Amino acid sequence: MTSRTRALRDILWTLALAGLVAAVFRLWYGLGATTNLSDAFPWGLWKILNMVGGVALSTSGFTVGFLVYVLRLKRFQPFMKPAILIAFLGYGCSCLALLFDIGLPHRFWHPVVMWNINSFLFEVFWCVMLYFTVTAIELAPVLFERFRAERIAHALHKAAFVVVVIGISLSSLHHSSLGSLFLVTPQRLHSLWYTPWLPLLFIISAMGAGLMVVVLAKLIWARWYDPASILGPNTGQQIPLIRIDNGSPAVSFSRGPEGPEMPHVRAMASIAAGILGLYLVLKIADLFLHGGWPALTVGTWESWLYSAELILTAILPVLLVIIPKSRYSPAGIGLAAASAAIGLALNRLDVGIFGYIRDAGAVYFPSLIEWAVGMGVVAAAGIFFLFLSENLPIFGPIRGSVDGRPGLFRLTYGSLSQLWQTALTDNLHRVTLIAVFVIPAAFVLMYPPFHSDSTSVGTVRPARGIDAERTILFIDGNNDGVETIFAHADHQKRLGDSASCVKCHHVSMPGDRSTPCSRCHLRMNESYNIFNHEYHLSAVVEDKHITGLYPANFACRECHAGGNPETSQSAKNCLECHKEDMFPGGLPAADCDLMTANPFREAMHQTCIECHQKEAERVNKPRLADCQSCHQSLQPRQITRTIAEKADGR
Amino acid sequence: MNGILVDVTKCTACEKCVAACVERNSKSLLKAERDRAVTSDGLSAERLSTVIKVDDGRFARKSCMHCLEPSCVSACLVGGLTKTQDGAVIYDSDKCIGCRYCMLACPFHIPRYQWDKTVPYVVKCDMCFDRITQNQQPACVVACPEGALKFGDRDKLLQEAHAEIRQHPQRYMDHVWGETEFGGTSVLYIADVDLNSLGWPVNEAAAIPSLTEPLVHKTPFIGLGVAVSLIGLNWIVKRRNKLMGNDPEKETPEEKHD
Repeated sequence: MTSRTRALRDILWTLALAGLVAAVFRLWYGLGATTNLSDAFPWGLWKILNMVGGVALSTSGFTVGFLVYVLRLKRFQPFMKPAILIAFLGYGCSCLALLFDIGLPHRFWHPVVMWNINSFLFEVFWCVMLYFTVTAIELAPVLFERFRAERIAHALHKAAFVVVVIGISLSSLHHSSLGSLFLVTPQRLHSLWYTPWLPLLFIISAMGAGLMVVVLAKLIWARWYDPASILGPNTGQQIPLIRIDNGSPAVSFSRGPEGPEMPHVRAMASIAAGILGLYLVLKIADLFLHGGWPALTVGTWESWLYSAELILTAILPVLLVIIPKSRYSPAGIGLAAASAAIGLALNRLDVGIFGYIRDAGAVYFPSLIEWAVGMGVVAAAGIFFLFLSENLPIFGPIRGSVDGRPGLFRLTYGSLSQLWQTALTDNLHRVTLIAVFVIPAAFVLMYPPFHSDSTSVGTVRPARGIDAERTILFIDGNNDGVETIFAHADHQKRLGDSASCVKCHHVSMPGDRSTPCSRCHLRMNESYNIFNHEYHLSAVVEDKHITGLYPANFACRECHAGGNPETSQSAKNCLECHKEDMFPGGLPAADCDLMTANPFREAMHQTCIECHQKEAERVNKPRLADCQSCHQSLQPRQITRTIAEKADGR
Repeated sequence: MNGILVDVTKCTACEKCVAACVERNSKSLLKAERDRAVTSDGLSAERLSTVIKVDDGRFARKSCMHCLEPSCVSACLVGGLTKTQDGAVIYDSDKCIGCRYCMLACPFHIPRYQWDKTVPYVVKCDMCFDRITQNQQPACVVACPEGALKFGDRDKLLQEAHAEIRQHPQRYMDHVWGETEFGGTSVLYIADVDLNSLGWPVNEAAAIPSLTEPLVHKTPFIGLGVAVSLIGLNWIVKRRNKLMGNDPEKETPEEKHD
């Protein structure tokens, strides 16, 4: 493993782990809380970039299959396996991202049994599903060969032509249909991108850029593992472009020795550039035929985006391949390939997202979680790509020297001990290792529900009675299993039967005389805002018979009579309305603002201890005010009054 | 085929239709009011219909138009949306997978999503399907105090609308929105102002399924055509190689792997 691939691996693992954490959040909290998708933008990053873009960049499987099996161009045979692997992983990660995108992921199989043959999305679903199976079948021989199951591999090889033909037919359908998906929005998609030719443009661009992706993968692979195959044996030698032969200067494009694979890469890139050139011609013809030209010349941001996309997808790659200097250099071909791939992704984003911004009147930018999941599945596919291409004969024979252990399956990340050893010595590795753990952790900690001001239901556990009369109550507010046994009926009798309720139940909900403590004291150790603003708003509207378009807007003044801002300070005292119905004669009014409730623990201690202390003096039983008179489970030495008072902050 | 005729000149934006809609769909009035404030047109998963301002002093009820050839019905990949014989476009939550293609496909931006739910569904007006099957009128039509909403057979409503326009030529524009736009809709509008802000197209627009359905029905044959031409092409290449004598059968790619 070179340090270059290690850095890449670290980045991929970080992204994949962050994606995993984000995906859990997505499933747990739902789409609205975790994404920036909205009614104005129902389709976002996952569908457009991961699905429509990702599938388009994975066309390689069918285009290379066409060249190798149908046109029988044997020179491209070495591209076949990488192309199939890219297609398989590309489709796999696209479908995975889609699984997080759909609102009800557990119903992903519905289109298999519930059909609507009028829907392009239905057709895309079936084609993608079948084609994914086809790529798996195409990839299977490599696995079988690896595990010496040669007879099965041979049988699959025999069927290869049939499988490839099925694959190409399915691909030609769904790649164009991905464009047809957007045909339903003639009124909404920007006129630069909306055209009846969308299906045609989609498949042509995908074919060109898909070939470019194989070229790029091949070049990067060679750069890392096998430079000689591209650059030739003597890479350090400078070869001048213009040579003097026989005394007369002549421009020569033979760049001296180059690797045995470079001519094939160049031929592949030339084919791709040819297709992209056709795409360029179609795009320009489409501009004039379908009325996009006026929209391009007005100079809106869409027209600039359109131009940038076209330059990246078609013009730049075609130029780079036409110009001999760049055609004969791996860097030039690589740049052309990368430009085409980025341009294609941008094109899909334009058609799926940017083209709708003007109509929606809103802007969509994916949330952190959307980026994390979207990039995470791509990173996971990248990890699989590295793992499979190193351990299976994809780009050539298995490269045993990759980590010094030939022919062995091993974890892509190396064993754990290796990880720690390198982490302690290698700076870059240490940083990325920390990032692997810190970034997911930061996700967890930054997520709003983890530091919210707890507006949801409280956590105090209500007291449980053993019977309907609540003779004995088991009080365990913090739910730690240590219960305080409270003789409810006994206290009732001692404090004076029916008149006794208000002595403890100092405030009750309207129409109630003994609201349970945990109804308001919802938090164990912190004060809690118990005022329900929304409810009061609707209650006032109903009570005062306010009518009109926005009745709630006229309800504010009922409480916030004076001045702005409308805060709890400027509102009128709760007791002006709730004197009788909530105050059966407990605490004096000044003690209670009815807005916030004390912590449960403090409330329980206040209520019991004061009364117990008085009673202890009165009947001269000092131990009545001790902690363990209530907390029976505690041993006398476990808790002293000082500790208890300190804990209560008194 | 039922329909609703909306007379924009009579609407006073009292929003009693919206309140009735919220009540009929068992939504929370408070949440509906909240969504009125935060959405651009007042439609949300809690507020299936809304009243929007279409011009100075002109308001119109906006909800599902119940197209005669609905784009959403054509787009839904599991067939979760249906155009019924009664004219309503209804949604089957048991089929929905949550792909939200209907939301993209609707030219009027009608279907809304329950974004805040963990198990979300699409929400849209169903013309009070349970009520109209029991020969009752939709809740909004019953609630309207101004008679701006009329429910009945679409053809009769269309005749009524044209009669009304003929009777008061100075009061209305000579156009019934929904008669032909997008292949016609069950909800019709007459007004004295342009209703483009409701989503009606400026120019004549064809039904959206007519743009896609002929194409999608051709796809199996295109696929077969591609397969046949591939086999043909392969045969030609094979034969040419054979005649040129430079590519014996044993060197074909299928055999070459070992």
